[in-house]
Amino acid sequence: MNILTLIVFLPTLGALLCLFVPKSQVRAVALAASFLTFIVSLSLFGTFFGGGPEGDPDVFGADYGTLHHITRTPWIVGNSFTIEYYLGIDGLGFPLLILTTLIGFLSCWASWNFDSWKINKGVRAYFILFLLLETGMLGVFVALDFFLFYIFWEVMLLPMYFLIGVWGGPRREYAAIKFFLFTLAGSVLMLVAIVAMYFYSDAAIAAEAARLGTEGIASGYRGDGTVISNGTFDLIELAMNPTIQAYFGAKTTLFLGIRFAPLMFIALFIGFAIKLPSVPFHTWLPDAHVEAPTPISMILAGVLLKMGGYGFLRVCYPIFPAGAEVWAYTLAMVGVVSIIYGALCAMAQTDFKKLVAYSSISHMGYVLLGIAVMTTAGIQGAMFQMLAHGISSPMCFFLVGVIYDRAHHREINRFGGLWLTMPRYGTLATIGFFASLGLPALCGFIGEVWVLLGTFDAGTKFAWAYPTAIVAAFGVVLTAGYILWLIRRVYLGKEREEYKGYTDATGRETMILIPMAILCIAMGILPAQTVFNFTNGTLDNILTHVSQTIAMLM
Amino acid sequence: MNLLMQANLWANIPVGEHLAFFSPMITLVCTMLAIVACPIVLGRGSRTTAGIALLGIIATFILALRVLHATTTNGVSGLSTDPGAGLFIVDGLSAFFQVLLIIFLAGVTWLWWLGSSANERNAPEFFILLFGSALGMSMMVSSANLLMIVVAMETASLPSYAIVGFDKRDRLGAEASLKYMVFGAICAAIMLYGASLLYGLTGSLSVADIARFTVANLATGEHHLLLALGLLCFLVGIAFKVSAVPFHFWCPDAFQGAKIEVTTWLSVASKAAGLVLLLRLTMIFCSVVGSPADMSLIQPLAWTIAILAAVTCTVGNFSAYKQKSVKRMLAYSSIAHAGYMLMAVAVFAHPAVEGHQAGMVALLVYIVIYLFMNLGAFGVTAMIVWDTGNDDIKSFSGLMRRAPFLAVPMIICLVSLVGLPPLAGFIGKWWILLALGSLDSTLGWFLVIVAVLNTLISLYYYMRVVVQMTLRDEGDPAVQSPFGGLALVNICALMLLILFFRAHPLKTTTDRFARTLNVASLTTPSPDNAVASRFIEAD
Repeated sequence: MNILTLIVFLPTLGALLCLFVPKSQVRAVALAASFLTFIVSLSLFGTFFGGGPEGDPDVFGADYGTLHHITRTPWIVGNSFTIEYYLGIDGLGFPLLILTTLIGFLSCWASWNFDSWKINKGVRAYFILFLLLETGMLGVFVALDFFLFYIFWEVMLLPMYFLIGVWGGPRREYAAIKFFLFTLAGSVLMLVAIVAMYFYSDAAIAAEAARLGTEGIASGYRGDGTVISNGTFDLIELAMNPTIQAYFGAKTTLFLGIRFAPLMFIALFIGFAIKLPSVPFHTWLPDAHVEAPTPISMILAGVLLKMGGYGFLRVCYPIFPAGAEVWAYTLAMVGVVSIIYGALCAMAQTDFKKLVAYSSISHMGYVLLGIAVMTTAGIQGAMFQMLAHGISSPMCFFLVGVIYDRAHHREINRFGGLWLTMPRYGTLATIGFFASLGLPALCGFIGEVWVLLGTFDAGTKFAWAYPTAIVAAFGVVLTAGYILWLIRRVYLGKEREEYKGYTDATGRETMILIPMAILCIAMGILPAQTVFNFTNGTLDNILTHVSQTIAMLM
Repeated sequence: MNLLMQANLWANIPVGEHLAFFSPMITLVCTMLAIVACPIVLGRGSRTTAGIALLGIIATFILALRVLHATTTNGVSGLSTDPGAGLFIVDGLSAFFQVLLIIFLAGVTWLWWLGSSANERNAPEFFILLFGSALGMSMMVSSANLLMIVVAMETASLPSYAIVGFDKRDRLGAEASLKYMVFGAICAAIMLYGASLLYGLTGSLSVADIARFTVANLATGEHHLLLALGLLCFLVGIAFKVSAVPFHFWCPDAFQGAKIEVTTWLSVASKAAGLVLLLRLTMIFCSVVGSPADMSLIQPLAWTIAILAAVTCTVGNFSAYKQKSVKRMLAYSSIAHAGYMLMAVAVFAHPAVEGHQAGMVALLVYIVIYLFMNLGAFGVTAMIVWDTGNDDIKSFSGLMRRAPFLAVPMIICLVSLVGLPPLAGFIGKWWILLALGSLDSTLGWFLVIVAVLNTLISLYYYMRVVVQMTLRDEGDPAVQSPFGGLALVNICALMLLILFFRAHPLKTTTDRFARTLNVASLTTPSPDNAVASRFIEAD
């Protein structure tokens, strides 16, 4: 059995098992399933070790589209097209897959105290939905058929809706439906793009085949002599086939009278930007985060937001480089506005969780900026930032959850001196929040600096890059501002009477926090060994492909 | 070309071999007669009547399957040489629809048995009306002649009016029935007026002749006003059956007032029959167009249906928002779904034969999936109504606790109605979107965008019911529901999952029927029609 299939559907198997075991065993089964998924996913390191700068060149290949552990089987066969069950992994999906299995496991563990939650009915349903959600998330990162990608993308919605809606805070219904509506709005745009991309690629291939007088044309990336004669949903084929690329990017290719590439790019972009989320599509996030139970917040911040960034890098940029060029300025501006706006909003919050939620918006702004400028450092920094945020923000949310479990409120101004009351918790919290702040030697730093450097690098091609970089750099100051202020108000100062008897972080809580703390430090000190060696090969290939295609279309 | 049967109904007296093609309809009539006759001997009990009905359904089902088999495997395509000229067509499309109709009839009978049989004193009358409308519907999909269409539609409509107000003591039902009938009568009158205009213009009742006249008229650019009026008026009748906006006003009232098994019946069968009829008519229009390039001639017709579809879909979805009665909400939802299905019909002006086929297949697949979605959703609603006595959205609150085996299938059916994966409703939409995309025209993309936006709009009101079932709980007692009902709705939900993961078999099956339709009604050689050869080659 293909290892990716195994990883994706292990949680589903766990969910099925959860249906039959006694109620008291459900959480153990779920935890075992998510842990097993994590362990199995670690075996993928075997493939990607040695892919560093001086390592084996075959790991990432010379071109975008070098994949590992491929499995492809026809699933739905139409008269002229095939929708495939097509999974594969490269340097883009791999780190995010590991992140997902890790955060999935940790947040499942964070749900261990389900019985002591305010709403503690339906333990079985909770863990089943949780595991189904994990399957959806894992599927998104390995699906390479656009249709399949879309299915996994949508499969996540319903479990997430219920997880927020049933087990969330007081305004859970509102938050859940808002999340659902926003995400679905993005996905219907994606659906239009899927249909359009299929028929436009079909037209491109038909025209080229007719010109050559052949049945079809050679695949753009598969070296096995595959001939494609119809439109395709293959995300890599759509990107790497020169015929399709030339047709998609041409100024004469119109969709309802508008140039195809920029239009499709922006439709897909909005779909992914809602997930990211970037201003102005961010309003669902604070609501969803605040109302969601702690483990679900961890999943939301740690994994779901990354799907937006992943979507840009997997779908938008490689397939529509022409659109990327047209929209670069707008995207960079949206990114910068997200950084500044998110940080300012975070500064104004008095709700602990809302502050972390807005900080996510700010941090994901760096991702968008780094991708938008299309430079090596920018795109690497964006990827790093996604992973760094994927570790630090679940950690922050869990830290909030720990104190919420004890104090039953999240008012920042009512806290104080917690470090004295709970020294172990205070220490770990400092690591988490400093990582989020972007302190050098912690994970948040590398991503932000890389993105800023990348933006400066872009100065040679975009006149607006320097001012943008300067404004974005100001975001770092704001971040430092709200996080330091937060730490002062919550953890420092005199010990307060009302929190005196609080137990320090329990063994379970500490064990959940420590892996994330270690990763925060490790990624800050050894960015190459922990992240860059696994991602840069593919990212460079994507960037080369994008700039070559733009040059070709000029 | 292997048309084995080329007999004209009126020229040759039909022999047994030909009559075999009508056997399902004849069986339906015989069942009705039996239901009338048997009470004399066996009494009027529900059990007796249901037993006879069941026998009739089984017999009809077997015969319908035989006809289906004959039409698809042997290439036998019915009794008519020219699909427009004859009064009756039996081909893959009509046979397929009949099979579906009978399956659905069985489902509705099952619902009736569970819910109403115990205190129903007029069971024979109920079944005569039910089978009568089924007969009319299966005639509708077999006709391509104005006279026959009108007769078939009235055969389907008149019993429907009566059955909506079947319970004489129910004021709401009586009111609904009256509204339905008045509205139906007006639409039928408009339709007849249109038919008379068309007959006056063309001198023929055959849709093929009318189509030829229309295409010629469009080709010369005359734009005959009377012709347009005639066609539009005729369309009104079909739009009424489909409950397309603005001819949908009867729908919510009739659905709310009628007994729930009747509502279920009308929501799927009556609409599907109207849509298949419309599909057949549009196919005839395609088949008389000269060449692929000339397909643009019938674009105005395609646009008419497209706009009807877009408006129906949007109005249906928006109207469903504020409904408190779940039956009424589902009525509006069924209007919206009629809109989606009309979109599949709007693909007919596709220049390539694969294009029509994609539209046809999309429609047929959607009808099959829609059948399960609606049967499931109405089935659950029915059991709530039987238990709590009303169908207010409030009576669904806490259903997840009160009856998980009702709540889970309901969630599956509703999410499938929204059209989200991994459920069959998404596959249904997907084929429609693909068929529309294959047009690669303004019309196609316009409808694609309308369809996906409507998916978004519809999410909210379907989720309202889900919210009631899962997130709210007012401590109502557990719901008692018959085991048979639970089985029915859970099977429906299971089918929705299966039809998603194994989407392919349904598609290939419908593909085969769609292809026989192409053989049957599009490839018919006729002297004044040069198109036909194109379709033969394409096949």
